[in-house]
Amino acid sequence: MKVLLKALGGIVVFTLAFSCIAQAADRPLRTTWAWPTYIDPAVGSDNSSTNALGNMYDTLVVPDKTGAPQPHLATSWNVSKDGKAWTFKLRRDVKFHNGDPLTSSDVKFSMDRMLTIGEGFAHLFSGKVDAVEAPDTSTVIFKLKDPFGPFLSTLFRLYVVNQKQVMANVITPGPYGDKGDFGKKWLVSHTAASGPYKLKEFKVEERLVMSLNTDYWQTLDPLVPDEYTMLGTTEAITVRTLMSRGELEVADRWQSNESLNALSRIKGVGLAKINGPGQFYAMIHTKKPPTDDIHFRKAMAYAMDYDTVTTHLFPGTTQAKGPIPRMMPGFDDSVFQYRRDLDKARAELEKSRYYSALDKNPVVIHWIAEVPDEEKVALLFMSNMAEIGINVDVVKVPWMSVVEETAAMDTSPHIVTIFDEAHYPEAAALLQSRYASPSANTWEQNEWLLDSTYDTMLEEALKTMDRESRFKQYAELQHYIVEQCPTLFMFDVMSRHAYRSDIMDWPAARGEVPPVQGYELLGRYIKIRK
Amino acid sequence: MKFTVLQAGRVLFWIHRKTKEGPAEQPCSARNSMRLVRFLAKRLMHAAFVLIGLSILIFLIARVMPGNPARMAMGPRAPQWAIEKLEKQMYLDRPLPIQYFYWFKSAISGDFGDSLVTKRSVSEDIIEYFPASLELAIYAAVFMGIAGVVLGTVSGWFANTWIDNLVRVIAYIGIVTPSFVFAIFFVLIFSYWLELFPTIGRLSSGIDGPPVITGMVTLDALITGNPAAFWDGLKHIFLPAVSLAMGPMAQEARITRSSLADNAGKDFIAAERACGIPERTIMFKYLLKPSLIPTISIYGLDFASLMGNAFLIELIFNWPGLSRYGMNAILQKDLNAVIAAIMVFGVVFVIVNIAIDLAVERLDPRIRFRTGG
Repeated sequence: MKVLLKALGGIVVFTLAFSCIAQAADRPLRTTWAWPTYIDPAVGSDNSSTNALGNMYDTLVVPDKTGAPQPHLATSWNVSKDGKAWTFKLRRDVKFHNGDPLTSSDVKFSMDRMLTIGEGFAHLFSGKVDAVEAPDTSTVIFKLKDPFGPFLSTLFRLYVVNQKQVMANVITPGPYGDKGDFGKKWLVSHTAASGPYKLKEFKVEERLVMSLNTDYWQTLDPLVPDEYTMLGTTEAITVRTLMSRGELEVADRWQSNESLNALSRIKGVGLAKINGPGQFYAMIHTKKPPTDDIHFRKAMAYAMDYDTVTTHLFPGTTQAKGPIPRMMPGFDDSVFQYRRDLDKARAELEKSRYYSALDKNPVVIHWIAEVPDEEKVALLFMSNMAEIGINVDVVKVPWMSVVEETAAMDTSPHIVTIFDEAHYPEAAALLQSRYASPSANTWEQNEWLLDSTYDTMLEEALKTMDRESRFKQYAELQHYIVEQCPTLFMFDVMSRHAYRSDIMDWPAARGEVPPVQGYELLGRYIKIRK
Repeated sequence: MKFTVLQAGRVLFWIHRKTKEGPAEQPCSARNSMRLVRFLAKRLMHAAFVLIGLSILIFLIARVMPGNPARMAMGPRAPQWAIEKLEKQMYLDRPLPIQYFYWFKSAISGDFGDSLVTKRSVSEDIIEYFPASLELAIYAAVFMGIAGVVLGTVSGWFANTWIDNLVRVIAYIGIVTPSFVFAIFFVLIFSYWLELFPTIGRLSSGIDGPPVITGMVTLDALITGNPAAFWDGLKHIFLPAVSLAMGPMAQEARITRSSLADNAGKDFIAAERACGIPERTIMFKYLLKPSLIPTISIYGLDFASLMGNAFLIELIFNWPGLSRYGMNAILQKDLNAVIAAIMVFGVVFVIVNIAIDLAVERLDPRIRFRTGG
């Protein structure tokens, strides 16, 4: 008995002695995310990666609340008359985290590296940027193959890396010739950055911890988080426990309605609804019978019950109006919006050449197996179509298989439901990736529109350097698309986060968020009151 | 220095030859040692064939899964040239036998290729994640072994009483309830309500982790004399380990109990009772030892299964282990990682099986004599 008591006593003393050792940050910001996260600017492009990159790296320009580019590393810029040469003047007082000065050759290196590797956001610049020149340490010139109006907006995705530091960690031989592996291996778990947060700890499958860069060139609010942790979990019970114990400030966007309700009942926790730069689409194959008939497509568009989708299946969302989300610069509010009207649906169906043979022409809808809520939409669609006599087969398909099947016209299904987001804040991002002919063999366009008139109109718009004129052309394109009815425009993407509203001042929760993926949770815009 | 499969094969062959060339007459202990070496050599050779077969099977399964791994790795918007370049790099444009040949050639030198998801070498990933899973499995196994045998023994000791019935009910609940349900309950009770244990990870963020020696946080903390990290690591591993161990623990208890009950009715126990040997001595000296043989056989297999089955536990507790890594690799079609992770689990199974055979042989003289010892 005495031995037992001694052992217990020992454990108590041990616990008391070491339980207080953990040193918490003064103003921590801890968030949960769907993993993996890539911190190499030439590799990462998903939600968590863009958040990590935006916190640790700087870009030439940053978006304001409306998505318009504002100076950041670049103090000023101009574009040549032919729209093919963009010249940027850089700040001279910017230093990387290791103390090296940031110069124009780093910018050139960052673009060259991204284009060579071809991953992440390279698709934004690949085939557009011809060359990058750095005539002096504070001037950088991008030479484009053709004029590209939204170029400035795409630069939100050019994260500037430290050339000297990366090249010092290159492994040779590698897949990129004399550049070896271009520092890819090293940048998996290290940074060569200049941003407001420094990498403190990165456990690849577990968590990413960033500490505030106290030597940052820009003045930051004294209340910004001094430590930013990204936790790689979305497990509801884990998130709820962390939040209730005060060990989590912002929950991820993947929590279910039930989980969000439970989280919002915790004292001090509020619910933020943040509009995202994307939309949930039901992409209709326009070259496959019976959905190749425009009246058939319009009948489906009129028969769909959008209200049920936005009120019950994805509560709080807003029915989309055309192919562009409302928050996206270049969205046109005058575009036609389909509403449920069974009479109009039947009238359109009667005009269809498949009207007399509906039994023989079932419609197949594929939904993504990894997003269970999509099944509800597919089943609702089946039920709605049954009301006008269209037979629907609902098929659950893994994401990888959707990517494969949409690569060819024959294997693409009649309809596939997909969430898609713009990678730079202009309507052109989606108008191009969703409907231009070159994207017809990708998962982003099950429609197979292959419309040369549309392609020409889009090309003209992209070449227009004046933002206002360009936006007018975007509006015409949106009207053109809606008239073709190649898609059921379901709802604008909205992410919901449970967050500690009692201690956080989070502009995004108030609706003040740039329409750019990954910008909603940048530490520099958030204040922690304790 | 890398110890390759080829080198291992040479060592095995040498042992095999040596055992055949052994002297005609040897003392008993030397004979035992030679028998052991022969036994080990034979088992290791079998194991090598099993692992090669496993690698072929897994390689083929991984290759025929739907979806292009190169596209998956490069991201959905990657240009076609970049995807084709990666396909070429991974030999995906070559026939399957050629692909397997290249893979095997690299694998025997310890290079499993790069992970398409983590973007690191798979070997590096395994070195990081395997110790985490092993540490979790060891703690779970300790709990499973102690609690399972104790409960089984108590149940067998008090057979057909209310205590026995209670333990049986507990055991049934343990067997039929998936480990992730226990994990959720434990998190709710001990982390959410009582706030006794941390919820995620292997260490708290404010704690300086010990330098990596074995990769097992608590062991490394002990070796380097870091009591704070040890205690913190222990608190972090407690709930996942217990959650993981609940099912197998119940199984051990059931098997121990039924084995005890079987042996209790045998003649040798009746003879011992007739000789007036005290019940306690009969129980712990003569009954428990033979009754543990089936428990140990199952225990070994359960231990190996713990690592492979820990996926949901590792997910809930955000535990950076190999099981979660392997499952993510399957979901993301990360070919190299899938094969490597399954091969590691295969090796663990093989090693544990050999260890069980040795342990059972030590415990049961009948098996020892049958194998010529």
